[in-house]
Amino acid sequence: MAAASADVPAPPDDDLLAQARAGSESAFAAIVREYQGMVFGLAYHFLQSWSQAEELAQDVFLALHQNLARIESARHLVFWLRRVTSNRCIDWVRSPRYRREVPMDDLHEPGAMPRWRDPMLDALLRTLVAELPPHPRMVVTLRFQEDLDLAEIAAIVELPLNTVKSHLRRSLEALRRKLAQRGHTHES
Amino acid sequence: MNLEHELRQALKRKAPSKGFDEKVLGRIASGATVPVPAPETRWTRLALPVAASLVFALAGSYYVRQHERQQQVAQAEQAAREVVLALQIASEKVSAVQVKVQEISHHERQVEY
Repeated sequence: MAAASADVPAPPDDDLLAQARAGSESAFAAIVREYQGMVFGLAYHFLQSWSQAEELAQDVFLALHQNLARIESARHLVFWLRRVTSNRCIDWVRSPRYRREVPMDDLHEPGAMPRWRDPMLDALLRTLVAELPPHPRMVVTLRFQEDLDLAEIAAIVELPLNTVKSHLRRSLEALRRKLAQRGHTHES
Repeated sequence: MNLEHELRQALKRKAPSKGFDEKVLGRIASGATVPVPAPETRWTRLALPVAASLVFALAGSYYVRQHERQQQVAQAEQAAREVVLALQIASEKVSAVQVKVQEISHHERQVEY
């Protein structure tokens, strides 16, 4: 597994999972709090809609609650959440309830952006990522939000490794091209 | 600008609205459920093409068998027609011979008288 980024928490211990499986509401709530950033983040970066991402993330945790008995370990829990979130995101954009919205991050996280970051660039990058087709978009989101290696991404999205490599390469090329068109230069 | 670094910054994990966990627990307490689709595997993804191939193979096999049967029926009908024709020809020959025999017989009786 690729090294997790600094703000990616370690998986909960197996005891917490066992408690949740035994019916402990507080243990399940702790799991939700631990992973809501991961699940909601994947959904938000994919859908670019705060309300739809929250609805989808809630559905994922409800599905987790229904399937706790099938979760074998803390590591499996993380894999399961990523896979179910990815599948639901892709299903969501193909369903009639999907509607593109203009993201309004600042309403939810005022001042959360570090001062030295260019918020326009971040917003532009998220918009460009959201323009990618569903599978490449999920590959890019898993790669850069979760810092996963390509084999892990292939296992989550259930695509051959070479397809994932191809999606990532083409997506980065497309992003570089579109950024260049908007006057952003980059290192290759 | 390093694109991959910028993407890591732009696509960081994101916290949902405050009270998200309470909303989830509230939905669970209210008995809400979500449909859990069967996890799609490579096998289930292959199911449709495999099923389609099987249908085509079965349909093809049925068509070939029907065609062979029609050919056999046509051959049998042709053979029957040929047998009938042969019998007709044989019958005509026998009739011709019979006429000849009658003529000879009639001629011999006239000579005797």
